Amino acid sequence: MIDEPPAPSPLPYTDTKPHGHADFYFATNATFRFIINHLGYEKLKQYWSDIGTSYYKPVSERWRLGGLAAVADYWRAFFAAEPGADVAVTALADEVRLEVKTCPLIKHLRDNSREIVPCFCQHCYFVSEAMAAPAGMTVRISGGDGSCTQRFVLRSRNEPVQQLSDIREATS
Amino acid sequence: MIGCYDFCGHYEWTFEWLRQQGGHELVKAYWDEAIHHDSQRHAIELIVGKGFEGMKEYWGPTLEDEGAVYDRTVTDDVFRIDMHECPSKGFLIRNGLKQYSDYCDHCMGWIGPLMKQAGFVIDHEHNHCGQCWWELRRVGDQTAASKTGELSGDQDVRLRDDWQRPNTDHYEQATDPDDKSTLP
Repeated sequence: MIDEPPAPSPLPYTDTKPHGHADFYFATNATFRFIINHLGYEKLKQYWSDIGTSYYKPVSERWRLGGLAAVADYWRAFFAAEPGADVAVTALADEVRLEVKTCPLIKHLRDNSREIVPCFCQHCYFVSEAMAAPAGMTVRISGGDGSCTQRFVLRSRNEPVQQLSDIREATS
Repeated sequence: MIGCYDFCGHYEWTFEWLRQQGGHELVKAYWDEAIHHDSQRHAIELIVGKGFEGMKEYWGPTLEDEGAVYDRTVTDDVFRIDMHECPSKGFLIRNGLKQYSDYCDHCMGWIGPLMKQAGFVIDHEHNHCGQCWWELRRVGDQTAASKTGELSGDQDVRLRDDWQRPNTDHYEQATDPDDKSTLP
């Protein structure tokens, strides 16, 4: 009997352990604060877009080739590896919807009494939009501060522009 | 969302992004302000407050959670770590990620200023391949770094066949990431 090779991960970068180390969320929050303090909010938005375009380029390529099914596969694998996440990923005919019931990042920062950068939740929009655009998709987010809804749709659907006011400020 | 599962990947990517924005000094400021003083402030509380005992309390659970393969040797005068499989650098190597010139510098970048604050100095060497050793002693203790095998016996990372490949970065009684020399 020949063993089947394991299916390739939907994640472009994989580790030997199944979950990440939650204390790294402290560094993500601190990184945003550092960039705001030293370079300003506009540069922070650029950082988010650049990381989506550059570091996550392999994800964009998979989404471009695999369409919305690849988007759903990615986010299921992504949140399975994030400690404390409670997220439902639903693949509909024309969109992938993430219902973030418990954001692991916000929860861990709050559980450890960390001061959260107020615009923290905007990073999901700017990073995901930069990942989605090369794949012919776009993202819309509503809610925030610990729970939100994220919808990935084809750009051809001409969704109304994302309003940042629809993304709540994070509270500590 | 930016996750923690692949944290070391986007962390390393961020060093190079910052360097392009503000040069080496901005990267150093990031390690000190964002990592030492903000992200890892729990390490400050433990190590400034409790010295060697705090180091045990900090690095024990942290390296365990991160999946490190390492050995620890602690006496009344020195805290030594032999890192055989750095989970962080290992992740980068396995995934072929390299944007910044020397990822390993980030450890001295935030631990160095922390030890200065706590009253310790560092002897350290890393080989850029996921192996390194650290010896932390109190300021004023002029004891030279241990010879190979002297402190940690057969767990000394310098005894590995693959230790020198092709060179190592070396620090003596240092707390600044720039105070390094490269050994052939």
